[in-house]
Amino acid sequence: MSHTSSSLSRRQFLKGLSVAGAASLLPLRLLMPYSAQAATAFSEKDFQIFRNACPRNCYDTCSIKTYVKDGIVQFIEGAQESTFTAGGLCVKGYAYPRRVYSPDRIKYPMVQDGRRSGNWRRVSWDEAMDRISRKILELKEQDGNLLGLGLTKYSGNFGITNYGVEGMMSSLGYTTRFVGTPCWPAGIDAQNYDMGDMWCNDPEDMVKSRYVIIWGANPAWCSVHTMKYIMEAKRRGAKVVVIDPVFTQTAAKADVFWQPEASSDGALALGMARHILDLGMVDQDFVNANALGFEEFAAYLRENVTVEWAAGLSGIPAEQIREVAEEFATADPATIWIGYGMQRHTNGGASVRSVDALVAMTGNVGKEGGGARYGHLRTWGFNYHALIQKQPEGSVGFIGATGPKGEFDFTKGEAASYSDRTFNINKTAQGILDAKDPALRMLWVSCKNPFAQDFDRPKLEKAFDTLEMVVSVEQFFTETVANSDIVLPVTTLFEEWTVNVSYWHYWLGINEQAIKPMYETKSNIEIAAELSKKMNELAPGSCTFPQDIDTKDWLEKEFNQGIYDYFGIKHWTDLKNGPVKAKLASTAAWHDMTFGTPSGKYEFRSDLCAEHGHEALPKYKEGRKPYDEFRLLTPHTQFGLHSQFVNLDWMHEYNKEPFLYMHPDDAREKNIRDLDMVRVFNKVGELRVKVKLTRNVAPKSLVMYEAWFGRGNDFNVQNLVDDEAADMGAYKTGAPGVAIHGQFANVERV
Amino acid sequence: MQSMELPLVLFTVLSQAAVGMVLMSAVRGFACHDGSDARNEWMLVAGLMGLGIAASLFHLGHPLEAYRALAHLEKAWLSREVLAAGIFLALAAWAAAMGGGKGALLWGAIVAGLATVLASGMTYAPPAFPALNNALPTVFFLITAVVMGAGFASWFAGIGSQPLLARIFTTALVTGLVVRLAVPCIWLSGSEIMRQSGLAWLGSPLYWVSIAVMAACLGVLWKNRTIPVWLPILALLGELAGRAAFFAETVHTALNIGSPY
Amino acid sequence: MKKHYAFLVDSEKCIGCFTCAMACRNYYHQVEGVIWRQVYPLDEAIYPHRERAFFSLACNHCENPACLNVCPVVAYTKREEDGVVVHHQEKCIGCGNCIRSCPYGAPVYNPVEKRAEKCSFCHERLDASLLPACVQSCPTGALTLVDLATLEPGNEVQFPAGFPKAEKVNPSTRFIMPKVPTLVRR
Repeated sequence: MSHTSSSLSRRQFLKGLSVAGAASLLPLRLLMPYSAQAATAFSEKDFQIFRNACPRNCYDTCSIKTYVKDGIVQFIEGAQESTFTAGGLCVKGYAYPRRVYSPDRIKYPMVQDGRRSGNWRRVSWDEAMDRISRKILELKEQDGNLLGLGLTKYSGNFGITNYGVEGMMSSLGYTTRFVGTPCWPAGIDAQNYDMGDMWCNDPEDMVKSRYVIIWGANPAWCSVHTMKYIMEAKRRGAKVVVIDPVFTQTAAKADVFWQPEASSDGALALGMARHILDLGMVDQDFVNANALGFEEFAAYLRENVTVEWAAGLSGIPAEQIREVAEEFATADPATIWIGYGMQRHTNGGASVRSVDALVAMTGNVGKEGGGARYGHLRTWGFNYHALIQKQPEGSVGFIGATGPKGEFDFTKGEAASYSDRTFNINKTAQGILDAKDPALRMLWVSCKNPFAQDFDRPKLEKAFDTLEMVVSVEQFFTETVANSDIVLPVTTLFEEWTVNVSYWHYWLGINEQAIKPMYETKSNIEIAAELSKKMNELAPGSCTFPQDIDTKDWLEKEFNQGIYDYFGIKHWTDLKNGPVKAKLASTAAWHDMTFGTPSGKYEFRSDLCAEHGHEALPKYKEGRKPYDEFRLLTPHTQFGLHSQFVNLDWMHEYNKEPFLYMHPDDAREKNIRDLDMVRVFNKVGELRVKVKLTRNVAPKSLVMYEAWFGRGNDFNVQNLVDDEAADMGAYKTGAPGVAIHGQFANVERV
Repeated sequence: MQSMELPLVLFTVLSQAAVGMVLMSAVRGFACHDGSDARNEWMLVAGLMGLGIAASLFHLGHPLEAYRALAHLEKAWLSREVLAAGIFLALAAWAAAMGGGKGALLWGAIVAGLATVLASGMTYAPPAFPALNNALPTVFFLITAVVMGAGFASWFAGIGSQPLLARIFTTALVTGLVVRLAVPCIWLSGSEIMRQSGLAWLGSPLYWVSIAVMAACLGVLWKNRTIPVWLPILALLGELAGRAAFFAETVHTALNIGSPY
Repeated sequence: MKKHYAFLVDSEKCIGCFTCAMACRNYYHQVEGVIWRQVYPLDEAIYPHRERAFFSLACNHCENPACLNVCPVVAYTKREEDGVVVHHQEKCIGCGNCIRSCPYGAPVYNPVEKRAEKCSFCHERLDASLLPACVQSCPTGALTLVDLATLEPGNEVQFPAGFPKAEKVNPSTRFIMPKVPTLVRR
């Protein structure tokens, strides 16, 4: 074995040494991409290279370059072509090679004899489909419709073809759907009332901002690729203010950190607005030409809001509020990133509207480097071919009014006499328990882990126990799988064709099949085809889903000229050369000042909002009243995306166990020491966890990061979070959001 | 706390005992000629060193490739240690075969033995252990050599040499006890890693076993004036415990990265 | 001075995201328990907020490497062209002397191979004019590759608090220390 660079050492030391040769023949690192002591330089030619796109529910939606050798994913990296991904992924993304080949992965269809018994046995796809199909037919025969069959699916895989799961349900008939989103609905509605859509600036234009307020978002953990734009803005002289109930990693990178009382955001924004109004720093051109109802808003501020009042509610000193408000109003452009955390309250939508108003009145809406940034769906104009499937002839369904089935429902509401029955996704347990005529008897779970993400876990277990059959489509033996009867193994991103876009940046990436599906895994649409085959075998005509599909063909069917023009490509195959960015007329949302509201203007006064049962003006709305001693916050961990990734052994190397974080002063009062085991409990349930004491957390609050550790660790924050609704969300997503951060609990040493 | 490194505990203590026996042989040679059982004595010397080297192989991931450890004599004290220990073993075996070692053979063994102790002292004084990155390991190892050398030599020495060996044994034990008690206390006022090492030693049962054994040996000698046959075995157990604490409890700098040093 | 590659760890830019650590694992698939690059949180005595500032550390590719000096089988070499310290695992007999000797814990024991291993600076990538996997992965530019021979003197330090001050081995890694924002709390 020779090393091109070790001539020095060889000259000096190998002279009298003739024994190294034999050892070099040892079969070292068979499973590695290549030996760390490789004799030759790295060469791309040694690999087949594929394009992938991370389909997780994440701002960053990275474009991935996958290096395959001998049919095995050797390693991955971020696509260099995307200025957003810029060659690097994140701690989660880089764990993908393990996720595919994890020994914990579900390999075959399996049947559990007794829920939570762990008595899993392997069955063939045919047997699994036979059981499922017979159950569906039984429901149909007994109920006269398929409303007893429910689907709960959310953001586990945002690859566009995965909307084939909804398509599969439609192809069976009219069913029950859990609709809405636990994530961001209150803010979506708020932005729709104010501006007529949720539409954010290109995050890459944040470098132009002269003032950046990050309000209830933690990009250092949840959007690592956006941090470079914030840091660049800072380097160019912008001031960065982070507002968060927790001293987050993002806060540590700010110039100023505000730690207000959780859910006081609306008051804080309105207090700033009042001060700006008093100083005469309102952008008159904007509010006169492009806005509706500013004078009414101003009158509300004058009559009901003072800086001192805002200081009293938020805990942020009045002089600070004045200082930042003045600086924000002076800076041009100035922007606020509205995080999803701040709207997970009973007053979340109202708070977002107040922050929107602050950005608008300073003339920062429609400006490059400005904007009230929340999210967007501008790049999502696919055909949704997999989603749109026709019900079988003679299907009977639900009669009555229904709204959209979530924020990604791009169907234009087909006029039919029947429809699906919809339940609030944020009250899954209650929905199952309350379902009548017919009762919900069978549930299909895909791209979702309800036992890790849905609220009031104790109630959810009771609800699941009323179901006659639960089918989970999964990659790992989650708690949801434990509460299922049948599990179907699903492919990872490397094993199927699809396409992905972000709700934050403006890049489009193709997801190629890089390796053959491992074991007996199938993609969601292949599973649908498999089900269709069996359904039609048992009862011809009972399912309209195509029975023989190719994921690549189905990917192609998602594209249209609109997408091609928006991204400036001729054909989807162009994406094999790397991701492309939308050809934006301006990086600013609403740059042409044509708003999507009924008035076509920015609406400080939204009658539409009033029609939906809220205030027409962005008035202050009080948050939820405490129901226990401490506020409980359960935000995202950096090591996972909801319940994904944290369970991997690779991740365990850096994140071994969960912790509760609490303020040392509270701990002293409770006789709790650092690293003690504690019991956190409230009216919903309890959990036991080790505690870390830190002043990053405000006094009288408890912070735990949501995660599913797997490997026998039953840590689950949903044991402590109830399903209290947020104020908004029903308008655009079909169901109100949920007050994830409007929760309370107590703690004691065990 | 790191691993106890049992193979290294055995190697260092046994090799030092063997070297110490040769030193005592020389001392006795100068002091008086007694009718000692030279063949068996050298057999024990060779046996201890052989056992130590054999034990050390278990420390390696690849024991069969141990011979390659001689490759870095230019820089690595571990290579020098292996060489010195190997030469010592060869000389001791030769002396055992000859029925005794005198003159050049004895002097050769003394030089190789001292080189072994010195090389060990340098090998186990790396920069990663600030508490030991000094002459202390060599001092510890020399004390062990003298204590165990005098102890085991008493098995073979004639009556005439016994009081001398008992005096040397006692002196070495007292020195060892003082050094071993003082060192962790001095560390407590040193840098962070030294302080942590001191606390770890003082909190280690192994450390206190070694202290207790040394004190007990002194107590026995106080009463007995000569070294009872069983005492070297007790002393050996104490030395092994002390050495285990040396390897297991001394704190590595890398354990504290991110915290003040 | 000769060309000498080094990691520049800018803790002001570092967000402790562990991307670098996992990028390394993604590239080399180390066995369970073996970590070449680790992200160390700074103690509150150094940065006043718990787990909010970090050092991302792997091998420091020292000027006078302890590992190289103590290795009895010459399994370590230091590349003349760029100062990278390479561990030739096929030569290693697993004596653990480098692990015990390196003040920075860079070499670690691989219980499967029964040999030591450590960060290679991705020299096979350097030889192909590519960045090390960790450096390429860093989303904020907090971890960069510098040449000590041409590094303009700035606010970099060699021995910040929280990093063992082993002057004799002369580690090549350089650091920029993190700042603390103004905190306004209720």
